[in-house]
Amino acid sequence: MLGILNDVKIVEIGGGLSGSFCGKLLADQGADLLKIEKPGRGDQARYEPPFIGEDLSGAQSSLFLAFNTNKKGITLSLDTPSGRELFLRIIQDVDVIIESFPVGFLDSLGVGFAEINRINPRAILTSITYYGQTGPWKDYKGSELTTEAVGGFLHAVTGSEDKPPMGTALEQMEGITGGRNGAIATMAALFAQKQTGNGRHVDLSTVEATVSVPSGLIHPFTLTGKSPLRGGSDGNVMDGMHLPTKDGEVTLTTAGTGGRPMETWAEFLGEPELTNPKFSSRRGRLEHWKELHDLVAPKLAQWSNLDLMSATMEKGLVIGLVLSPEQVVNSPHLEARECFVEIHHPDVGNLKYAGPGFLVDGVNPMMGSQPAPRLGQHNDKIYCDQLGLSGQELGQLYASGVI
Amino acid sequence: MTEIGILNGFRVLSLEQVHVLPWGTAFLADFGAEVVRVESVDHMQDRRSGPFPDYKPSSEWWNEGGSIAYYGLRNKESLCLDVTDPLGKQTFLRLVKNSHIVTDNFRPGTMRRLGLDHESLVEVNPQIISLSCTAYGHTGPWRAAGSRARTADAACGLSNLTGYEDGPSYRASSNYMDHSGGNNNALALMLALWQLNKTGKGMRLDLTMQETGVMAIGPAILEAQRGIVRRRLGTSHLWKAPHNVYPCSGNDRWIAIAVSCDDEWEGLKAAMDHPHWADEARFKDTLGRWNNRHDLDGLISDWSSSRDNQSLMKLLQSHSVPSGAVLTAEDLSTNDHLMARGYLEVFNNPHAPWVGPRVYAARPFKIPGIDTSIRHIASLGEHNVKVLSEIGGLSAEEIQSLADKEIIADKPKDPENVPQDFVIRG
Repeated sequence: MLGILNDVKIVEIGGGLSGSFCGKLLADQGADLLKIEKPGRGDQARYEPPFIGEDLSGAQSSLFLAFNTNKKGITLSLDTPSGRELFLRIIQDVDVIIESFPVGFLDSLGVGFAEINRINPRAILTSITYYGQTGPWKDYKGSELTTEAVGGFLHAVTGSEDKPPMGTALEQMEGITGGRNGAIATMAALFAQKQTGNGRHVDLSTVEATVSVPSGLIHPFTLTGKSPLRGGSDGNVMDGMHLPTKDGEVTLTTAGTGGRPMETWAEFLGEPELTNPKFSSRRGRLEHWKELHDLVAPKLAQWSNLDLMSATMEKGLVIGLVLSPEQVVNSPHLEARECFVEIHHPDVGNLKYAGPGFLVDGVNPMMGSQPAPRLGQHNDKIYCDQLGLSGQELGQLYASGVI
Repeated sequence: MTEIGILNGFRVLSLEQVHVLPWGTAFLADFGAEVVRVESVDHMQDRRSGPFPDYKPSSEWWNEGGSIAYYGLRNKESLCLDVTDPLGKQTFLRLVKNSHIVTDNFRPGTMRRLGLDHESLVEVNPQIISLSCTAYGHTGPWRAAGSRARTADAACGLSNLTGYEDGPSYRASSNYMDHSGGNNNALALMLALWQLNKTGKGMRLDLTMQETGVMAIGPAILEAQRGIVRRRLGTSHLWKAPHNVYPCSGNDRWIAIAVSCDDEWEGLKAAMDHPHWADEARFKDTLGRWNNRHDLDGLISDWSSSRDNQSLMKLLQSHSVPSGAVLTAEDLSTNDHLMARGYLEVFNNPHAPWVGPRVYAARPFKIPGIDTSIRHIASLGEHNVKVLSEIGGLSAEEIQSLADKEIIADKPKDPENVPQDFVIRG
């Protein structure tokens, strides 16, 4: 691990996906992150299918494994006074607490920002919720789907015009977009802490994070009075549709054609009919899309993915191979860049995990990463070694359901 | 709490275009770093791309903004400098000497050709942080390939996973990867500054849109290694039901409902005023509801289709049912909740007073004492003199000489060539 954040100590609690991804992004850069889960079940993410192996009992969910690398894990219930007391001891010397409970939950237990700030004035509290800590909708319940709905993604971003609104896969808005904005905001608060010595309460809304993502929403409307609509790839053979290849799918673009898209693609695909004037404008291509599709698709179907990529690259044409996750994992390009790091987990064995999306001085900074923790894996280490509890006290905490 | 610019004093020189990098460096500008957007009069496509207010580019169209005011120009400085000219390049390197970060999103190789790659920058400033944001990176067999955000959407695996239930694949978005990559640019740069503060050392960041996307499908990457194929489910869910979008009154109006447990199901039943079908045994528990979800979706649709989606959202939320109206851009721009939170900012671009005040989206986070609102939108070349004298230490004569040689500028070469605005689907 490169460990840029190895001087930062974080506690993560609440079990939300955005909080987990936010914590992961910082832990993957070396932050000393302690994840607190509910005793017994732990995070809901542990039970989200599909599972990597046969065990469905909470150890092998791909979601949990992917979102919790490089964290230490303990269990602790805030429902009891002794649990809350332990929580306040744990956060005494941390820099950041990431929480994803409903608005006001920590306050109602007497361990909200005011109390945290009293005990540890340096501590930053990053609160991630669907609608934020204020406003008329702050207590509304949500999920990834409702985040994509209210955030404007469903209506206008993907899907087809003549079909219902559609979203995208794998928690992109609540989890990824909310989480990464959380990491950025937390970094900002860390810089402020360095300057002033004080922690701040960061209020992040995953719905707002969603709205901020497709800039093609609010600003076209406020500038022109028009609300964008889904269906940008409908009938869009040259700039958006997915077309089959021998071993997958591809999406074309008219980029890199020097302003002569149809001539260039006609030559590349060996299909002179593409230069027919009816296809020369974008509008013409949409109008005659079926015809165009039937000319282009059979030609592309003769190519294998990797050959098509090499050949178009050589000509300066811009395409996108629509890779399956399996093709991504086996991509020679990503292999050459060491995009993945191999991590051994005692319950699921060795697996390749995606890096952070950037190399530092040519190296994946996540090399040497640790797997997601088992439930309560670090209870002994944290409670006994760090907080100085005796074995008997630990036993009492287990027995009374505090941990 | 007093206002502080947490990145005050950090200087960023950004050779940026289109979307992914301008969006990333805008975070740093919001946080108070001095972000100099280095622009070229030969490549005006960002300032040409609109949409222009009310579809009408004015005679000073290059300073109007459009979407780029939000994602590319906000709180930055504009230096219009031709770095392909030897004197322009020399001038740029004088700026590098007094800066902390240099970023670009050219294709790999361009910075080397310009003599501005990491090794060249280190020669004038050993502590420099450089970030190059590309589609596929500076190494590996695909490094030379061009890209758009949506081809990165395809190449990272996300498009393959996106689609209506058991239907064909769709791109997730035409520009999500710009934003996702942009967010990652911001995070990577803040990490690099943290490291610089701590160790006094710079670094070379090679950030890619494809790999940012690969991380975003992390669970599917693990599944693929065990032969698990994720089916496309549209707005349905692997185990929750009812979990879908349901039609409402009006044209193309919908509500999303995501029930995950029996309590929420009871809440939904109560909100629907306990229709008799809802008590059928097959809908009694989560498994039963999921197995019969298509029937269930039809029955809920019959109930929802005559109702207003935003009123329905209020009703369902009053019964603690996770639900959300499918909002349009217009809905969002006038939303009471977002207004109350100050998420919608009204900004009057001083360089285009004829545009009038418009609503912009704010950052999705609030941090007391840290102002991230839009304070300024840079006009083309607005900060030429300031940047060259303050960061580069150039004299007035040197700056005048650059202007005379047209190495710096504050107008496009052909101001009469007014852009044709693009049409928004809608």
